[in-house]
Amino acid sequence: MDLDNPEQQPQSQVQVKFVTRDPEISVPTAPILVPSNLKRLGLSQVVNHLLNSEKPIPFDFLIDGAYLRTTLDSYIAENGLSSESVITLEYVRAAVPPKFLTSF
Amino acid sequence: AEIVAPSDALLSRPHSEARELWQRYESATRTLSAGLCEQLRLILEPTQATKMRGDFRTGKRLNMRRIIPYIASSYKKDKIWMRRAKPSKRQYQVILAVDDSKSMAEGASSDLALETVALVAKALSSLEVGQISVLSFGEHTHVVHPFDKPFTSDSGVEAFSRFTFAQQKTDIRRLVETSLSLFSTARSQAAASPTELWQLEIIISDGVCEEHDTLRRLVRRAQEQRVMIVFVVVDSVRENSILQLNRIQFVDGEIRSERYLDSFPFGYYLVVSDVRELPSVLAGALRQWFVESVEAGA
Ligand SMILES: [Mg+2]
Repeated sequence: MDLDNPEQQPQSQVQVKFVTRDPEISVPTAPILVPSNLKRLGLSQVVNHLLNSEKPIPFDFLIDGAYLRTTLDSYIAENGLSSESVITLEYVRAAVPPKFLTSF
Repeated sequence: AEIVAPSDALLSRPHSEARELWQRYESATRTLSAGLCEQLRLILEPTQATKMRGDFRTGKRLNMRRIIPYIASSYKKDKIWMRRAKPSKRQYQVILAVDDSKSMAEGASSDLALETVALVAKALSSLEVGQISVLSFGEHTHVVHPFDKPFTSDSGVEAFSRFTFAQQKTDIRRLVETSLSLFSTARSQAAASPTELWQLEIIISDGVCEEHDTLRRLVRRAQEQRVMIVFVVVDSVRENSILQLNRIQFVDGEIRSERYLDSFPFGYYLVVSDVRELPSVLAGALRQWFVESVEAGA
């Protein structure tokens, strides 16, 4: 599937819930619908949007304790999850600068 | 290698369990169902009582506006009588479409959906002036009860055995397309005249679906086909109500956040968290639609 071309097919979405252990950066935990082709960077943008932060904080995301390194779509497909369920995303401040991570 | 999932058509609920469920919900909703039936009867009854209409050579009452011309024409223009017009007999064809996707299994949505089916199907079948079809939808759309069979308790059990709430997608576009084609076939086979045939689809779902723009176009097409779609959003999980659900979109790299229901493509939607609310809100929506379609000269 060509994820660079969103025109080709309607954008899929999935309900997610953002949770964190860090009370300083917590957002409401109500489920929210996001495009399912998002990766770490897009999700980071979403959390920053929810935090209303002036200076964006780079985040890393974990699903069931494992770091998300692909799109939500791929993660869901590869791990036998379902886009019909609410996916719980735990987020932490990224340990390394985002520029370094994107070169992976 | 690709993993081939078993077809959802093979998934079904054991018959004994389906029977028990049907009996439970049928008796739990009996009073509500009788109430809905009465409200629908009032709506379905022609709004205008039978009227006297002219012009005929024989009839029940004189049409006074024809008397002078009648005399002036030396009794040649003799269509001076009015007769009672036949009351119209409205007929309905209703599709009850139930969301069989996995998201329905979270919370109590699936229970509320089955209760709704029992309530509405019973109310319509006791009205006895139309046909009911029941569909299940998710990744695929299946007819679990066809228009051409009467809806009995056995139909209810059969329908319930087909709902497992395990389908991995919620393809409402496919549901609406399938429904419109079923409706157009049913219309061509109906006994009622086209203007007296009332086609209605009631979609029972948790309401989370994609492709809002495509759906909006389909809803317009349904209107052109004179099919009314009422979307019943079953909202049973109070702390995560769909009324509070937000949707994030990226437009040219910018984040946009909106209330999910703000772009909901179905014009007539009801959010119901208790089956007891259903008869009055459903009857209200139908009454409103009926008044609008009469005013539009349909
Ligand atoms: Mg669903």
